[in-house]
Amino acid sequence: MTKKSGLRQGMQIAFRLGTELTVATIIGGLMGYAVDNLFETKPWGLIVGVIFGVVAGCLGVYRVAMKMNIEEED
Amino acid sequence: MGNPLHHFEVHNVIPIHIGGLDLSISNAVIAMWVGLALIGSMFVLPAKRGLSLIPSRLQNVLEIALEFIRGMVYEFIGEEEGKKYVPFIASLFLFVLACNLIGMIPGSYTITCQIVVTGVFALGIFIMTLVIGFSKHGLHFLGILVPPGIPKVLIPLMIPIEIISMVARPVSLSVRLFANMTAGHTILAVLFGLAMSSVMIGWLPFGFTIAINGLEIAIAFIQAYIFTILTCVYIGDVINLH
Repeated sequence: MTKKSGLRQGMQIAFRLGTELTVATIIGGLMGYAVDNLFETKPWGLIVGVIFGVVAGCLGVYRVAMKMNIEEED
Repeated sequence: MGNPLHHFEVHNVIPIHIGGLDLSISNAVIAMWVGLALIGSMFVLPAKRGLSLIPSRLQNVLEIALEFIRGMVYEFIGEEEGKKYVPFIASLFLFVLACNLIGMIPGSYTITCQIVVTGVFALGIFIMTLVIGFSKHGLHFLGILVPPGIPKVLIPLMIPIEIISMVARPVSLSVRLFANMTAGHTILAVLFGLAMSSVMIGWLPFGFTIAINGLEIAIAFIQAYIFTILTCVYIGDVINLH
């Protein structure tokens, strides 16, 4: 059962990481764009938003990966 | 060769218009009803009829399924807190799975191919996690935006990042299910179109359709599983703050 559970977890991680990274970037970009439209700060909101989005995506992937390591050691 | 996206079209079977609202019964609604009826007849009716100590074959399958879902919930939410959420998670998993599998029947409709459906599921789950978090921890729940053990200087920088990753969760949840189902069904349609286009070599894409059909059934299970397990993870994150 433990081996099967490992397979299930691997499956979950494999399908999770790809979308996590892209969606976070897109959401960050959209939020920045919305800020631009609200406060008329044309390019800056989008730039900062995309950077924050990429950081958020990488952070999410990093967290999942860290959890994966800990589970393997047990 | 027909349009490979043709089978995603929603068309009204029984038009009903009340006031300005379009409440028509479309093929998507019928597919959803069939899914509900399938779960109802498989799970609710045997439970109503009475369970026996020595399980019949159907009861055995159902018990294994529910046992599996319960194990998943306990693993990610915790045994104490998880008990409350087992019925919700079980219905979510079974409904998504039933809808995915109904879509595998040729000529039927896959409602999980509509981002509206998966989006509403994910939005409901997102609002649910917020409600659980605020009712359980009060204003303390906002601490989820500040990860533990970071220097104070970085806090203003971390809050927008954490907000983005919070908002990205329901979006990625819905997009993942929708994109996987849509992509698989489009591939099937394209391959079948190729198989119909020529008699001489049409057997080759036709063979691929059969192989990909098997793959699609596996994907239907995996995607339903991932959808529910991530729901568990999100609820668990909100309950056990860090």
